[in-house]
Amino acid sequence: MKVKQFLVKLLRFVLLAIFLFATIFPFYWLVLTSFKSRQEINSPEIHFWPAEPTVQNYITAFKQTRFDVFIGNSAYVTIISSLLVLIIAILGGYALSRYQFRFKNLIMGIFLVSQMVPLVIAIIPMFILYSKVGLIDNLLSLIISYTVSNVPFCMITMSSFFKRIPVSLEEAAQIDGCNRFQSVLRVVLPVMLPGIVAVFVFAFTGCWNELFYSIMMINSENLRTIPAGLMNFVQKYDIDWGQMTAAATVTLIPVTVMFFLVQKHIVAGLTAGAVKE
Amino acid sequence: MKAKKKRNWRKWEPYLLLAPGLLLIVLLMGYPLLYSVRLSFLNYNLLTPNDIHFNGLENYQKLFSNPDLWLIVKNSIIWVVVVVFFQFLLGFTLAMLLNSQFRGKGLYQSVAFLPWAVSGFLIGLTFKWLFSQHNGVINFALQSLGLIDAPVSWLGSETFSMIVPIVGMIWYGVPFFGIMILAALQSIPVDVIESAKIDGASATQTFFKVMIPYVRPTITVTLLLRVIWVFNSPDIIYITTAGGPANTSNILPLYVFNQAYYSMDFGYGAAAGILMMEVLLIYAMLYLKLTSYEKAGDF
Repeated sequence: MKVKQFLVKLLRFVLLAIFLFATIFPFYWLVLTSFKSRQEINSPEIHFWPAEPTVQNYITAFKQTRFDVFIGNSAYVTIISSLLVLIIAILGGYALSRYQFRFKNLIMGIFLVSQMVPLVIAIIPMFILYSKVGLIDNLLSLIISYTVSNVPFCMITMSSFFKRIPVSLEEAAQIDGCNRFQSVLRVVLPVMLPGIVAVFVFAFTGCWNELFYSIMMINSENLRTIPAGLMNFVQKYDIDWGQMTAAATVTLIPVTVMFFLVQKHIVAGLTAGAVKE
Repeated sequence: MKAKKKRNWRKWEPYLLLAPGLLLIVLLMGYPLLYSVRLSFLNYNLLTPNDIHFNGLENYQKLFSNPDLWLIVKNSIIWVVVVVFFQFLLGFTLAMLLNSQFRGKGLYQSVAFLPWAVSGFLIGLTFKWLFSQHNGVINFALQSLGLIDAPVSWLGSETFSMIVPIVGMIWYGVPFFGIMILAALQSIPVDVIESAKIDGASATQTFFKVMIPYVRPTITVTLLLRVIWVFNSPDIIYITTAGGPANTSNILPLYVFNQAYYSMDFGYGAAAGILMMEVLLIYAMLYLKLTSYEKAGDF
């Protein structure tokens, strides 16, 4: 029996180690490459530690492209879109969880189905619509489309967060003299903070990472977001992996930091609707 | 009198609260989709902007007579099935491993779930570099182990072109499955498992007869939704192989994008989009039916 327990433990340890290695290695390799010199990257010999660590790739990545501008554009589009998504999701999520009304199932169905509709399917009609109203090559087009695509999932998730908060909490606040709006704002929303954070981060990563609309709707170099801007590196026949990985590493930083800070909330948020209680 | 007025007002509250979201979805998702139905019956090419006219089923005829269409449909199926299968298998294993206490678990969990936050774009790029033919580390490792004699052109060969995007996509999705299944496993009340043990169930029996049935609703919903997301996410393919060589790694959503972006034949591209929409619609109906969403928790 003891031997068996030991073997189970050993197996678990080995498997955990393999998972950890498989998760970390791609990140490690990305960051490692960014600190290698051009010669070292192109040599057939593979080093698992840079022979002469250099930050040259970072310098050229920022000098040769408008990488700082891409970051600014991405931040601008992402922050505005995610805030819009958040507000819309809170309003709608509250309605879906707290009220009984006609067409509720129909409306819920619309959101359930629309979370499955990918942005790319509407890319042609949206391109035509945006060009009719002069929004091609305008970051507003991305803000609109990113907001639309993230609303359904975020609203459904938000409504399941509201459902977890007992109605009695609101009622108590109302007895104490708050009106309905005040009771939500001052009592319910603070309790929901984890859910709000999760939804925000979900929308944030979705917008920060979107590629196809950014390529399609934006033409000017100085309006590109990070993924579309970096496409210039990738599509060349001879990719400069040093610059590329340096730029990629910089891009990773905000998402990674945010992820670590709010990881627990994200997990709670993602699983909120899925697990029956 | 005042109370009655207030009551009337309350009736409209949910609609007002839902209005912004609903309007956005109807106007900027519903309407474009309907518009693309119309486009799919038009000769609408950006290269000949003055010659836009109704051309009946011509776009669809062109689409269905494209010899590569079936390859692309086949690839889409392979992509979804293989990716979701391995994401699930590995995600389940990860969740089982994490469903116990050990030192440093919190940190381990944070790191293990990190891929979820990375963009398809960066994943595509990273895996393209890992699998690079001449100075990629994977070829180096395989050669050092003696598994291959010469560097393999993972991205440039018609036989292997699906492998790199699939591996990248699996890597990306394992944490997500892990999170969902772990949450489901942890929602099993301890006394349920305890009483199974007291009744003399072995570990295997407890696993298959108690734990699995308990987490099945979550798993079903997650799996079904994941199928859609994987189908809809061609970023990694776009970055690694761009669907090539010769469409051997192309899937439907990427094909639609390429029509829109490169060939500028909007009528034809819209027809391809409609085909994709139909595939999704059939699947969505199946999904709603299989989960009967109100009962399974409204994800």
